[in-house]
Amino acid sequence: MRLSIILFIAVTSLMNHSIAANLHLAIVTASNAETPGRGRSFAGILTRVERPVRRAVELALFESKTSFEAFGIVPELQVIDMDATKPLDEQLKAIRSTALTILDLPRPEFIEAAKILDQKGQTIVNVRHPDTDLRDTLCLPSLFHTIPSERMYFDALGQFLIYRGWRKVLIVHGPTEKDKVRTKILEQSLKKFGADISDLREFTLSHHPDDRDKNKPEFLTGGASYDVVAVIDSARDFGRYIQFSTRRARPVVGDVGLTPVGWHRALERYGAPQLNERYQLFDEDKPLSASEAMSDQEFAAWSAVKLITNSLGTVDSIAETVNPRDILAHPGAQVDLYKGTRGSIRKWNNQLRQPILLATGDAVVAVAPMPKFLHPKHYVDTLGLDEPESRCNLR
Amino acid sequence: MKANYNKAVFYRLFIMHVILVLALIGGTKVSAFEALLTNERSGDVIHIDRSGSTTHVVPICNRPRGMVSGLIDSHVIIACSDDHKVIVYDRAAREIHSEISPVQGAMNVAVHKASGRLFVTNEGAARASVFDLSSSQLIAELPTGLEPDGIAITDDGKTLFVASENAGLVHVFDATTYAQEEVIKTNLRPRRIALFKSELWVSSEMGSRVEIFDIETRKKKDEVIFAPKGFRPEQMTPVDILFNDSTNEAYVALGSANHVAIVDATKRKITKYILVGRRAWGLGLSPDQKTLIVLNGLSDDFTLIDLKTKRPQLTKRAGLIPHSIKVFE
Repeated sequence: MRLSIILFIAVTSLMNHSIAANLHLAIVTASNAETPGRGRSFAGILTRVERPVRRAVELALFESKTSFEAFGIVPELQVIDMDATKPLDEQLKAIRSTALTILDLPRPEFIEAAKILDQKGQTIVNVRHPDTDLRDTLCLPSLFHTIPSERMYFDALGQFLIYRGWRKVLIVHGPTEKDKVRTKILEQSLKKFGADISDLREFTLSHHPDDRDKNKPEFLTGGASYDVVAVIDSARDFGRYIQFSTRRARPVVGDVGLTPVGWHRALERYGAPQLNERYQLFDEDKPLSASEAMSDQEFAAWSAVKLITNSLGTVDSIAETVNPRDILAHPGAQVDLYKGTRGSIRKWNNQLRQPILLATGDAVVAVAPMPKFLHPKHYVDTLGLDEPESRCNLR
Repeated sequence: MKANYNKAVFYRLFIMHVILVLALIGGTKVSAFEALLTNERSGDVIHIDRSGSTTHVVPICNRPRGMVSGLIDSHVIIACSDDHKVIVYDRAAREIHSEISPVQGAMNVAVHKASGRLFVTNEGAARASVFDLSSSQLIAELPTGLEPDGIAITDDGKTLFVASENAGLVHVFDATTYAQEEVIKTNLRPRRIALFKSELWVSSEMGSRVEIFDIETRKKKDEVIFAPKGFRPEQMTPVDILFNDSTNEAYVALGSANHVAIVDATKRKITKYILVGRRAWGLGLSPDQKTLIVLNGLSDDFTLIDLKTKRPQLTKRAGLIPHSIKVFE
């Protein structure tokens, strides 16, 4: 186990607080973990950017420097790289009990570690997994989610399709278990907003002539009437070839084409260009090119830290150590997400409520919730599992 | 019988016409003015007249944003964000008089006329800078939080306030020694600062409110939260604040909520919400204080509001992404 502690230089004038308080943060990663199908297609072609979230956490700390000074806070970041050959619970003991812990592990290890840390009442954040069940059936009181859930992504897509009047949807999905689970969630979202599903088709990677109904996009999308094709392809593999090859000239949405995302490099409004530029340039030793932006996972990690630093004013007195749980539990906890509306925590399942962007490679086409999708309590709550539908009730 | 009827109709029509003509005369009895608008995306300044007609379009620089009156009446100072400079524009000659460069990421500007100093927020550089306007020399650079936007100097030229959007802070500086005096914590995304009597009003764009602080003690006195009927509070994104001394009212542009709010400045009560164009930011007031002009950044137009009836009169085309407005007699 490699453990490194980075002490941020605290150039604090401590204007309003005479005593410095500590804010502990931890990132738990598994840099050597094998995660098959994660953004990598055949022959090593990268189909999706997957980066560690540390740069985004450091950006959030960089941005919070003046707030730390104003509140008299000294942040400390622990980065713990898990060794798969050693027992998990032993390694987790290295995390400070008061730390806001960003648990960036593959799903099985994530669930195991989350349960252990939740037992101890330590505050954990999920920035990696949009899997709806983690918010719904796993439902741990100490586990917070700043990455949107699949339901939030697909609800955003569903609203967009209805808004555009593309009601008849042909769903094309991959053969993996993950694809099937996500297809079910997409179906729920489409039904929620009143779309019609023309048909469900499964593709295969096999090129065998007997499978041509399943491996040729023209055949796969033939013999049905539809306004739009929704593709579920978690590995970003075959799905990439469906656009521009459909039997009918129809737009493609979902995992390819128009995609629901949490963050995007081409968002022009809400101060987003400043955030993107800062992400590229704040670390003078490791600048990134102008085309690089935070992935959804990185944005989720940035949001988690900013949720704490934007809400330091919610706790009246700050003790020797800031308890992130006190801040997250406060009804006034909020974060400026650079997406046009502030983010806050849904009390029933600890999910960060936030707008979802509908984007192509180089443009943000819409920001959901779409116009006219109204909610009686909070307008962003038309996205994702709302309190009455949630099986998790932490309130 | 018929003649009588015709007579009655004629009489009524006559009265109606008299009223109409009187109304028209009354309607035009508003003093003339000239207003300048900066347009971020089209990179120009447009001159408009009292009727809302564009009289001149002057290409000026890349991404002109904040604007303030200069030291002499015909001079207007404009921040050119993408050119990293500030220009002094002569509105009578309709040409650039001089420029101050470099001014990294110049965003908003304030002028203290008595001392001839210019105060600028440097958006990307997390600081504010101070210039001597007569010599264009840099006097001081003041570190702020990230994304500084709103900037205001007290009338006596002794205290400077700078709002940092990202940091959620207003930095207070002694404007004679340039030492930082204090940091005021605000709600999410403080944007603009307006000084009113002994008060400091700060709009919190993501906090959907205006916070009011005492200029002397810097303690929070009050806040006004915007929540028009049919909207959720989180959809209110206030930016510009403008005061009308004659009526003791504050006008607040509510951004993405497409409304402008009228606030009783002493009672802190919202008296009216007026629907305007998309992303209402910039605000201007006619010299006779009878017309409010609202810039709608996402519909590329501006709305004239009659402050007597508190209704929009007309909406006219601006340049691309209008940002700031300044009105002159």
